[in-house]
Amino acid sequence: MPNEKQLSEKESLQLNTDMIQKVKNSYHDKGVGPLLWGTVVAIASFVSYLQLEYDFKLSFDIWLIVLGAIIPQIYLINQDKKTQKIKRHEDAALNAVWLVYALTIFGLSFYQSFAPNAAEQIMKTYGWQLVKHQIDNSKPDEIISPFTPSFYSLYILVYAFPTMVTGLVKKYRPMIIGAIIAYSLFIVSCFTETKYDFLLGAISALACWFIPGILLRRMYLQQKKSNV
Amino acid sequence: MFKELDPILHSQLRLAVMSLLISVKEAEFTFIKEKTNSTAGNLSVQVQKLKEVGYIDVAKQFKDNYPQTTCKITAKGIEAFESYVNALQAYLKV
Repeated sequence: MPNEKQLSEKESLQLNTDMIQKVKNSYHDKGVGPLLWGTVVAIASFVSYLQLEYDFKLSFDIWLIVLGAIIPQIYLINQDKKTQKIKRHEDAALNAVWLVYALTIFGLSFYQSFAPNAAEQIMKTYGWQLVKHQIDNSKPDEIISPFTPSFYSLYILVYAFPTMVTGLVKKYRPMIIGAIIAYSLFIVSCFTETKYDFLLGAISALACWFIPGILLRRMYLQQKKSNV
Repeated sequence: MFKELDPILHSQLRLAVMSLLISVKEAEFTFIKEKTNSTAGNLSVQVQKLKEVGYIDVAKQFKDNYPQTTCKITAKGIEAFESYVNALQAYLKV
């Protein structure tokens, strides 16, 4: 490109448009992150459903695979940072959204692990406890711990949030559609048994991340091929 | 009465650099070089001119033991770019 070539007004406007378009086409998400999370959350949810449906228990908590996925994710983020040649305006905002999402998921897990026991202790200080009573008196009353009904529905709701934000900010339709599916499944899950909530969660993970991840990956590979 | 076009921006390579930087938060020198199809020497001169008038910030640092130059548009640069585009649109009656 000659350094001091004077342009006509029309050429200048065209150059503006071309450069903006070049930047837009120069960066595509590799899709590995969404693929990774879509896979692990879908597997964990589906196995949880199978455990409840067929009444068996694995020797380990299947949700540990989600924790395990954090290590490759950190590696991927570092690799991306090393190879990234531009920073986009929305990067910082979207990273903040996903960080808040991770904190929210951690908060929900914490709540699920500790709140029932804490509630039980508080109830005891008031001198009462929860009892399961069969309406038809077919079984004797049973003391139970406090629990939140259909708790996994809240996870499905939270899955939709960062997906929708990312889809809207990046104008990436598959993620917007994925988030709409997750919101719809959240509503459905409010009316279904817990075991089916896990099944709906698996579908949500596929819709929010796995499928958009495959599409992103395909776009990235196509772009890479065209750049060679 | 038409507004005079900013002579700093009314040059092909400098305008290309500014058009690129307006759409990102920051970009590496090598990326700008690649997208503008320019030579390193030529681009360095134009980047320096844009820096001198305060339209862009240039940061030099080391990344994995390699020197890395990143460019970022400034508030003054954004203002100048907007005025330039408005003036162009007035000329072309867009």
